[in-house]
This record gives sequence, C-alpha cells and structure tokens, in this order.
Amino acid sequence: MSTFREHKSIVDRSAADRVRHKKKIEKAIKESIKDVIADESIIGQNGKKKIRIPVKGIKEYRFVYGNNEKNQQVGSGGRHNIKRGQKISQKRAQKQPNAGPGNEDGEEKYDVEITLEELAEYLFADLELPELEKKRFRYVSDDSLKRKGYRFEGIRPRLSKKETLKRKIRRKKKAIALGAYDPDSDERFPFHKNDLKYHYMKPKPKENTAAVVFFVMDVSGSMTTQKKYIARSYFFILYQFLRHKYDTIEVVFISHTVNAKRVSEDEFFKRISVGGTMMSSALEVEIDTITKEYHPDSWNIYTFYAGDGENWSDDNKKTINLLNSLKENNQMIVYAEINENRIHPEEEEDVPDWTSPAFVAWKTEQPDSIWTLCVPLLDNRFKRVLLTKPAHIWATFKKIFGAKE
Amino acid sequence: MSDWTIDELGSWDDKIGEIARNFGLNWFDIDYEIIDYHEMIGAMSYTGLPTHYRHWSFGKAYERTHTLYNAGATGLPYEMIINSNPSISYLMAENQMYIHILTMAHCVGHSDFFKNNRMFFDTSPELIIPRFKAAAKYVKELIEDPSIGIGEVEAIIDACHSIKYQIPRYPGIKRRSNEELKQIYAQKMLEDAIGEYDDFDLHKIPLERDYNIMAFISEHGRNLNEWQRNLMSIVEESSHYFIPQALTKVMNEGWAVLMHEKIAKELNLPDKYYIPFIKLHNQVVRSHLGRVNPYHLGYNIFKKIEERDGFEACLLAREVHNDVTFLRTYLDEEMCHDLNLFSYSYKKSKDHISIDETSDNEGWEKVRDSLINTVGLNSIPTIYVEELLKDHTLILRHEHDGRDLDMQYAKKVFEYIQDLWGDEIQLFTVLEGELWEF
Repeated sequence: MSTFREHKSIVDRSAADRVRHKKKIEKAIKESIKDVIADESIIGQNGKKKIRIPVKGIKEYRFVYGNNEKNQQVGSGGRHNIKRGQKISQKRAQKQPNAGPGNEDGEEKYDVEITLEELAEYLFADLELPELEKKRFRYVSDDSLKRKGYRFEGIRPRLSKKETLKRKIRRKKKAIALGAYDPDSDERFPFHKNDLKYHYMKPKPKENTAAVVFFVMDVSGSMTTQKKYIARSYFFILYQFLRHKYDTIEVVFISHTVNAKRVSEDEFFKRISVGGTMMSSALEVEIDTITKEYHPDSWNIYTFYAGDGENWSDDNKKTINLLNSLKENNQMIVYAEINENRIHPEEEEDVPDWTSPAFVAWKTEQPDSIWTLCVPLLDNRFKRVLLTKPAHIWATFKKIFGAKE
Repeated sequence: MSDWTIDELGSWDDKIGEIARNFGLNWFDIDYEIIDYHEMIGAMSYTGLPTHYRHWSFGKAYERTHTLYNAGATGLPYEMIINSNPSISYLMAENQMYIHILTMAHCVGHSDFFKNNRMFFDTSPELIIPRFKAAAKYVKELIEDPSIGIGEVEAIIDACHSIKYQIPRYPGIKRRSNEELKQIYAQKMLEDAIGEYDDFDLHKIPLERDYNIMAFISEHGRNLNEWQRNLMSIVEESSHYFIPQALTKVMNEGWAVLMHEKIAKELNLPDKYYIPFIKLHNQVVRSHLGRVNPYHLGYNIFKKIEERDGFEACLLAREVHNDVTFLRTYLDEEMCHDLNLFSYSYKKSKDHISIDETSDNEGWEKVRDSLINTVGLNSIPTIYVEELLKDHTLILRHEHDGRDLDMQYAKKVFEYIQDLWGDEIQLFTVLEGELWEF
C-alpha cells in the first residue's frame, strides 16, 4: 500500500548547511582577493561596478586515483566509429567521470560577482586605522541610532528575545509557585502579550574623531609603469579602505618629482610625470599643509608615502629630518618602497617582516638610502614596507592595519 | 497548473501495484511525499534522507544541484527513493501526471530491488530512519554545546568524510575488536597441527589487515574523547548504509527502468500520457557519449537476459548479483560491441586522453575489466591499516592495483587522518612503480 502526503515544510532544513558552505566560500573569496586586488579592472572603478572573482570550490578530499595510464575509464562510443589510439581530448581527464560515489567532485570553480563596496566589506571588516586618538576637534554626524534600554511598546524587528524570555520565565516560576501551572504536564506555557519587551532606539549624535590622511606618491621618471601601477593600486585600496571605514576623513593628495604639489584625487591617480626625485619637497608641502589646515591637537594625522626609493642622495638627510619631525605629530607614517631588487628570491612567496630592524635588503645596499636611513625611526608609529608585486599589497595592508586572523 | 490530483495518483498507483504483483515483484509499502522544487533539491542534497546530520557539504551539494539545474545541465530529477521500510519517495509537485506515473512505476522497481537483492540483506530498513534521526539529533546537540560548537564538530566530520569509503566493501561483515581477533588466533595456534602459525605474532596489532580506518582509529586512538568517537561512528554507520547502493547502482537503475517500461506497457495509458512517457523513458536510457550511463547499461543487460532466458531469469539476477558479478556474468562480447564501449586513459607523455581498447574480438574483455574496475566502490582506492607500532605510529598501506593515487588528494587525506589519530602516521603507496611514503 502506498500513501501520498502533501507536506508543507516550514523549515528549510538545508539552510544552515548552505550558510556554512557560503561562509567557506567567503573565506575562499578573501583568500583569492589578494590576486584580484591589484587587478587592472578594479583600479579606479566606482563602488557599484561588479567585479568577477574566480573562487576555487571547497573541495572534499578523499583517496582517489590520479590521471595515469593504468587508471582506465570506460565510455560508450554511441554510433561513432572509434579506433585504438584515437585522441579524444586534449584536456586532462576529469576525476572519476562516471562511477557511483566516486564522482562527487573535480575541480570546481565559482565565479562570484561582487561590487567594489562588497569587496571592501570583505577586505576591511577586521581592519582599523591604528593609534587613533580622541582629539579636541570632533565631527558630529547625527544619523546613528543607538539601543538604549527597553520599552513595552515597539515594532516587531526590535523585539528583545532575551528580555521577553526573561519575563516569561519569571511569570512561569510565579505560576508554578502559586500552583497555577504544573511543570510536569505536557501543557505548554505560552508567551503572553505582557511578556513582550522591545529595544528602545535613541538617536545618538555620533562623535567622530577627526582624521586627515596624506597620500604622498613619487611620480618621477624612475617610477616605471609597473611601479606606478603598484603604487596606485596600493593607494587605491587604501583610499577605498578609508572611505569605507570612516565617513568623515579628509584625504590630501600630494605627488612629487623634484617639486611637489597638492593635487586632486583624480589627478593623483591619473597624473603621469617625468623628472628626478626629491622626496623632501613632498614632505615640505605636507608640513606646510598641516601647519595651515590641520592642527595636530585637533586632528589625527596619517601619512602614506610610496616611491621607488631612488631619491637624490643629496636630499636623503633632509628627508629623514623631515620625516623625523613629521613623526612628532603623525599618528602613523608608512613608507612604502616599490623596489624589486630588495626581495630575496627565496622569500618571494612570503612577505618578509620589514618592520624588523634586523631585516636586511639583499641588494648591495647603499648605506645612505632612505630605506636604511629610516631604520632608527622604525616603531609602531613609523613603518616601512616593501612592495615588489601586486600580491604584496594585501599582505602589507593586513600588516599595517592589523587584521585579526 | 498541474494536470493531476492526489486521488488520481492513488488510482494509478493501484493499477501499477496490481501489474507489478503479477510480474512477481515484492516491495515495501511506499510513502510518497509531494514536495516542491526546492524541497526536491534539498532531498537530493541529503541523498534523499528525510533526516540527516548537519554538514556544510550538503549545503554545497544543494548549491551545486541547484546551479546545474538552472544551467540546464541536468535533467529534472524524477525520482528519489530511500531503502527504508516503508520506502520513502518524493514526487515533485511541479511535475506532470505522466512523470508521476513513470516515477511511481520506477520506484516500485527500486523498492522491490531493495527488498530482494542480497546486498541489502543487512540494512535493517525498519531502523534506517530512526538511526539517522538519532544521529542528526546528536550532532545538533554537539553543535549547540557551547563547549564544543560547530567548528570542532566540522573538524571531525570533515576528517571522517575524507575516509568515509575506507570501510569494508561487502555488506554484513562484523568488525572484530583486537581482543576478539586475539582469541580467534590463539585458538588457531592451539589447533595448529602443521606449524602454520609457528611464527605468528599474537601481539601484533591488527592481527589482520583492517580495512575500517575509522573504526580502528576509534578503537586504538589515544587522542579522542567520547563525543569525537561517537561522531566517528555516526559517519561510519552512514557509510555502511550507502555501501549496498554503491555496489548495485547499475543493476538497481537498470531494474527500475526495465520495470517502469514493462508496467507502462500494461497500464493502457492514454496517448497524452503514453507518448511523453516513452519520450522521457528514452531520455533516461540513452547512452552518454564518452561515459557510461548506468541506466542505459543496466537496462540493456536486463533486456538481454529477458530475451535470452525469460523474465524469471531477470528476477533471479536482481536477487543474487551485485554490479561486479552482474557485469562479469552477463556483459559479453556482443553486448560490449552493441554498446560500442571503449576504454581510455590520460597519457602523461603526450598530455592528452586517448582510447586504449575498443570492444572488438581482442579488446572487449579488457574493456569489460576496465569497466568493472570503475563501477561503484571499485573506483575508490583501498587503504588499510597494516600495523600499529609500539611507539603508537600508525602504518597505513594502499592496496596498489596498478592505478596510482592522486597525490594531491592523498596528501590532504593523510593530514585529515593525522588529525584524527593525533600520533605519528605513515602511509605507503606506489607511485610510477616506486614505493612512496608520505
């Protein structure tokens, strides 16, 4: 005898497992992001543009046979005329193409489409501007609501499950004490309207600590296209990060050759120049700007510099002195050098710990380069980082902003 | 939109039942659940079981099935049946009447197979659902236990899943603990009149190759606590459940197709059902170029048996065989040739795939043997526990049959086993003719 049952399921039982799987995919996205991050296609895009990220599927590993001549598979030739030795595919055989439980996975790839905003969310969720201090001057933005206490009336989404349950438990205990309810009976002790409590949302004027960030970039002739590209990618990601995290942050763009000037965001990312390099010129512009517009008592100041380290040697001393005085009123200075000569071939895969003063560059070092001269400045407020290929950007980033992983 | 009612389903089911009984089929009662598309995908991701322990891999299965279906890469699932008693089967509400008729006739075939095939004798179909239910509940409790949580639960299940097929591949073999084996061999030594056991070391562990890695680790592992052992036996038990199915995929599908076709012929279906029914049937049994469609293969072999020896012979075959013996007994030269089967492999030196053997007079037996090597569990390498050393190093060995392991996968599994075992392990295999140790 067969039975037929139309069943209306209320719970989607695969939901939880799908969420877990999605989390794993997201983790994979985060891991592939360092490859995507400096991709030509995302630099200079606005937030709404969709980016495709290829993500490797989450594999389920088991013992399987590899691709080898003894691992013969069988197929049907249909009506085709087939011969021994006939080549049927250039591609590698898929893992276990036919047999029962053996065919669960092969190489799987998901193409995940996300917007730059979502990408920023993935990237920057755990990162913070370090050493941010409360300064006198504060922005006030009034758009935030803050939970503050409970009320008996409210809208459904603000129901406090915890408070509601507490009240119900209290009432139940009372009922048991009074003998009105027998806890051993099968009868349910239902919620009552009076149990419901809601979060009260109070508009809270949000205080933001003011911060200004200086982006300083070397655009001189020795910065090759590839170096500029890395520098721009680095700044672009930085910029996205700041915009994503802080509503009220000011960014000052300075580009320099032997002279420096303040430029617009657009110019900063697109301008191409030629000429020699005097890093001090840019720092002077910065100091000037700080003096005039951003008093260190009121502002958290950050400086991000990127260049190839080929500064005029006559300018090095002056530069270091300026850096030293800038350090006094900066929350943090990050000196990024884009210099492929500095990475040891064996270190290619890993990002060496440049923050350590013991880190020695492998290139025959000029003792008076900025890279060497800035060693005495190194501490948690002054960092130097090395970027030689796009993949380093993200690793560097996490180092500076302290991702917890 | 649908062209059917539950009453109609019932009356067609009555007719199907009557015809099937006349053919001599004997099946479990079937409970049909009528579910929508998403529930169907859900049921498929949990291998049909109405209750199953939680794991992200089922979420992945859901997404994959859903994606494949959206991309039109897979036909509509028209059947899903569990070998419980009563059998549980799903009908997708969106389907039309003729598909339901085909599904119901098909499911009678499956249920009959479950009830009669020897591979299933030890499955206790009455207990399947309660067992999975208890397992699901237990896993849920572990996940919700604040001192354990989902991360730790997943770590164990991930690791167990990597060796879920490393269990004995024949149903009904009870695993003996080390103590039980010791007694057996001590007895053998006692009765040994010809000196066969003179050099036998009764203190070696295990005394026989142990093909059940999960159970061995659970029995001898020093680094597992109770809930971890329980979790391991949950995965192991669900593996045991799938063994008979994996051993009979070709036969089981072939049998169900044969039966739905035979039943349909007797049903006197009106043309509006019969014509699309036959179309769907042909779709199901078509050969897949370059692959083996188990429906196609199994169906054709049963057809051949019926032609040659009559339907009684089919009934007998469905009872006594598994895929390996089925193919060995019935897949002959003529059939290999008719199905135009060929074997192929990847040639490393040329970086391409080419055909090795075709089903002519000289090649068909090799093609058949290659096919047998890849059906069901034969497509999965066998790794067994060879020895547990005094310092608690676990020695595992791959039963190499000419086919090398995929080393990248093997390395990951090795790490999983190490996680479970907690002490040193060694895994030996053969790679390109040379002994290889992980």
